[in-house]
Amino acid sequence: MTTIRMVDPATVTGKTRAVFDAVLRREEKVFGATAVSNIWRCQGHVADYVEANWERSRALMQRGRFAPLQRELIATAVSAANACTY
Amino acid sequence: MRLGLDEVGVTELMAVTEHARAMATTAAALLLERLDDAGGLVPAVTDAPEDEEVRTLLADIRTEVPSAVLWRILARNPHYLRSTWRKEQVVMRDGALNARDKRRVALGIAMSLRARYMIEYHAALVRRAGDGDAEILEILGVVDHYTTLNTLSEGMQIESDIVPPA
Repeated sequence: MTTIRMVDPATVTGKTRAVFDAVLRREEKVFGATAVSNIWRCQGHVADYVEANWERSRALMQRGRFAPLQRELIATAVSAANACTY
Repeated sequence: MRLGLDEVGVTELMAVTEHARAMATTAAALLLERLDDAGGLVPAVTDAPEDEEVRTLLADIRTEVPSAVLWRILARNPHYLRSTWRKEQVVMRDGALNARDKRRVALGIAMSLRARYMIEYHAALVRRAGDGDAEILEILGVVDHYTTLNTLSEGMQIESDIVPPA
């Protein structure tokens, strides 16, 4: 059971809206998402926070020398080792 | 599986993950902290042990690893040494995923576990394969960011909404 209410992307405004729009564009491209994923919706209650994490995501997951798959391999392995089911 | 890997690729990735995790546990359990440690909880055998099979195995191992002390400790039990080295070779060799990407994954796991000995071990091997500071920092960046996302999703008990492609 989720311990927090997921922010509804339809009702957000301002900075959170801009981040959610960017997240959705990215997730559509990467895995064909049709809605902002829960990992971002759960952060949307604090606009500066979701923005800071999105900036880090872009810096660490979208820039660099590796191909996207190479980064995803590491991400998936770390998540599995952390027993993270999300 | 949104990575676009088939079942063999996914199995290889999970094999690297669990193997790197087990090796990190092993090194820490043996109280190995630095690559140049001479021994740990259990003393290492000499470089030229009497048992011929162990001697041959260790000679092979020494040509491939940055530090053989972990393997020389396991050599106290030849079955343990042989089966673990065999697994290391099977899990880390080129397959659906290439050996270099697998070693980067193993380094990420060791970093995630803060396993100093295995961080040094895998880092030496990725550097040997040609990676530099930029690549190592890029691996850390992914580990770092997924520490964030894993903590959030577990802490908030986020339900999965990532639908696999049909």
